[in-house]
Amino acid sequence: MQGEEAALACVDVSVRFGAVAALSGVSLAFAPGRIHAVVGQNGAGKTTFARVCAGMVRPTAGELRIGAQPVPVGKVNAARAAGVELVHQSFALPPSFTIAESMEFGATGSGGIFTRRALEARWTGHLKSLGVDTNLRTRIRDLPVETRQAVEIARALVTDAKILILDEPTAVLSPAGVATLFERLRLLSRRGVTIILILHKIREVLDIAETISVLRGGRLIEAAIPVAAIDAARLATAIIGTPSGSIEAADQAALVGGGGGAAPVETARVSAAAPAGPPVFEMAGVDTRPDGEGRALEGASLTIRRGEIVGVAGVEGNGQHTLVRALAGLAGLDRGSICLGGTDVTAHALAQRRAAGLRIIPFDRNSEGLSLTSALWENWSARRLLLGRLLSPIAPSRLRNACHASLKEWDVRFADTGQPAGSLSGGNAQKVILAREIDADASLVIAAQPTRGLDIGATAFVWQALRASRDRGCGVLLISSDLDELFDIADRVVVMLSGRIAAEFSAPYNLAAVGAAMTGAPQ
Amino acid sequence: MKGKVLSVLRALAFVVVALALCGVVFELAGFSAPLMFQSIADGAFTSPNALMKSLRWAMPLLITACGVLVSFRCGYFNVGAQGQFYLGAIGATVAVEALNGAPPALVVPVAIASGMVGGALWAAWPGFLRIRWGTDEVITTLMGNFLAGLLLVYLTSGPLKDPSGTGQVTASRPVALGYRIATSVGVSPTIIALTLATLVLVWLLVNRTAFGVLSSLAGRNPVMIVWQGAKLSSLGLSAFLVSGALAGLAGAIELLGPNGRLVSGFLPGHGFTAVLIALVAGLSVTGVAVVSMFFGGLAAASLYLPVIAGLPAAAIDVINAAIALFITARTFPLPAALLERLPARRPAP
Repeated sequence: MQGEEAALACVDVSVRFGAVAALSGVSLAFAPGRIHAVVGQNGAGKTTFARVCAGMVRPTAGELRIGAQPVPVGKVNAARAAGVELVHQSFALPPSFTIAESMEFGATGSGGIFTRRALEARWTGHLKSLGVDTNLRTRIRDLPVETRQAVEIARALVTDAKILILDEPTAVLSPAGVATLFERLRLLSRRGVTIILILHKIREVLDIAETISVLRGGRLIEAAIPVAAIDAARLATAIIGTPSGSIEAADQAALVGGGGGAAPVETARVSAAAPAGPPVFEMAGVDTRPDGEGRALEGASLTIRRGEIVGVAGVEGNGQHTLVRALAGLAGLDRGSICLGGTDVTAHALAQRRAAGLRIIPFDRNSEGLSLTSALWENWSARRLLLGRLLSPIAPSRLRNACHASLKEWDVRFADTGQPAGSLSGGNAQKVILAREIDADASLVIAAQPTRGLDIGATAFVWQALRASRDRGCGVLLISSDLDELFDIADRVVVMLSGRIAAEFSAPYNLAAVGAAMTGAPQ
Repeated sequence: MKGKVLSVLRALAFVVVALALCGVVFELAGFSAPLMFQSIADGAFTSPNALMKSLRWAMPLLITACGVLVSFRCGYFNVGAQGQFYLGAIGATVAVEALNGAPPALVVPVAIASGMVGGALWAAWPGFLRIRWGTDEVITTLMGNFLAGLLLVYLTSGPLKDPSGTGQVTASRPVALGYRIATSVGVSPTIIALTLATLVLVWLLVNRTAFGVLSSLAGRNPVMIVWQGAKLSSLGLSAFLVSGALAGLAGAIELLGPNGRLVSGFLPGHGFTAVLIALVAGLSVTGVAVVSMFFGGLAAASLYLPVIAGLPAAAIDVINAAIALFITARTFPLPAALLERLPARRPAP
């Protein structure tokens, strides 16, 4: 930073949430007008760092400087006034607002009475200059995910921000969407905006960043080193920590998103006998009734055989949630059929499908997967209890013992089976779900974003569990927005687009081809 | 188990604080607080026959509170126990009137069953509306209470009116002595047996059946249990039905026991006290047994207050309301509930 005033500097910042240290003694300075990346695995403290910079989290110690000026910490307005804007990982604009309204919402000095037309006139230019060319009357909720993010960025820039922080902006995008985003960011950088990107994929970091900082367990491992001074291998080690012999090389590459560009990913451990098994699941021409809970399926067909992992790729919002709900019997079908193990289960309720061997690791483990305020043993027993009759007698002590044994077997860290599920960490909570859902009677395991938000150890554990299920002869359906994950463990990858299965790929995978299929671009 | 005992103790601590607060209020209003507490203690426990009287009020309350507990645990805030209790009494009266002259061994069980069916039906329609269309059960069950109260007025001054009645309140004909299960003292082997049976069966239902665990999961997170393959409709409707049937049972017991006839607007606070009991007990069955005795004692003491402390009997309502206020503050501690969710909501940094 010599000779140059830092655009944003953190000095010895520490953040504690209760007993957990999210950040410890982080000192970082970002040079102005450049693109910086802050990387690390889940739980490394990246989001907390971004929130400290944007004034949303008040650090327990340390200070924040913008230019030469210290900024009051923990005050969003102060950070905003100093020109710092944050684009959230989960988008924050009100879904019912139109684009123009949400721009006005973020602007300062506006207020009073306005007309729709005046608003649109006011913001058209701003959006055009950022390459957003959409009708300003469109409501946020109706926008495709790429445009929605672009609008979020445009909203952040209405106040002439000097520093733009983006928290995991690529997580929801297709490869093509990522390319567009990076173009847009480079454009902003040329206009003098300092950009700080929170990322976790090495490939993307090396593609866009000018400097790289690495966080691990809340500590700063590498501080704003120029991208030329580091390579993928060193970066991977910095992110993961221990040069891990416990995690295989291909998994490790997938964990940090290090698989190089369009080069085929190593596929040695993908099951060799994949297509040999008989189908365990067949879905033919399924249309679901639109129910306001996500895009409906429109003629979706899919077959899963015994002993294979089928990955589902796709930009979020293309029907993945509905697919899982349809398989679970929780979405109304207009047309089509669903067969499980050779039996037509189209008209069957979830309880019957589960009795036939269907297991689900749902998207949201905190609401769909677990009851956080209920005891672990109750959460764990639910599936079994539902197989029997409502009034069948139970012996809680026996259930608790069985639960204890099962959770131990799945390496869950817990004190007592009576503790609420909400007291476990994300990784441990996911293992409780695995312990419940993966058993000897399972014939089809649906895993929806099973590793989202998990740290590297827990992610590798989940992958191992899915592979073990496959090797036992289960069919596995893995829905993930992380292509590295899919390429690493799926025997086959299908792409969902607009509520249907649009394409199918087998190993070795071509990132560019899968990415093109995700956006529906002609190949 | 330790945690449960602790939570009941904590709830009782709130009750003590509420009582102390009432003491201060009554003192400020010119009454004697020590005398008030003494008359409550006398009326509930120490005066001759006080325990008997406490038990008389405690037992129907216990039965209704057990029902309330079942629906609350399942996540349905059925506050219609009062109406379901009335329908129970009405059901029993109708059965007694219809079978007048038949042997008691037939009439009494049929009347009790009819009361339970009446209560269950009065819980069934709000349950159905809730499960089918998501209609807020707090509103519908509360409205159900008013409807049941008006139905009671109509029946006692119309179809079931006692032609020889001359009292200020309208009432049905007295139940023939042979069909009564208790005198106006209200404690009899039959009622004790029914109460104990309810206590044991509900304890078993809550703690030793799949329904107990699953309904508690549904009460805490209905989404999760649906993803496990549960039918919320059958879980919820059963909870409503059990809840209503037990309130109806209490109504039938009051009718065939201490009341002996259907009186318009009788025991107007019964169902609400039962809701209070279930909440103070932290939705635990053993807790309900203990807390019912306490509230039964308060009810018995309400007769003593005017005599000893010169307080109007309505003072007990004030005390109940104060307890309700403190208990709701304890049951829905908003900041704590939010804190509980924080670790789950906090995205991975």
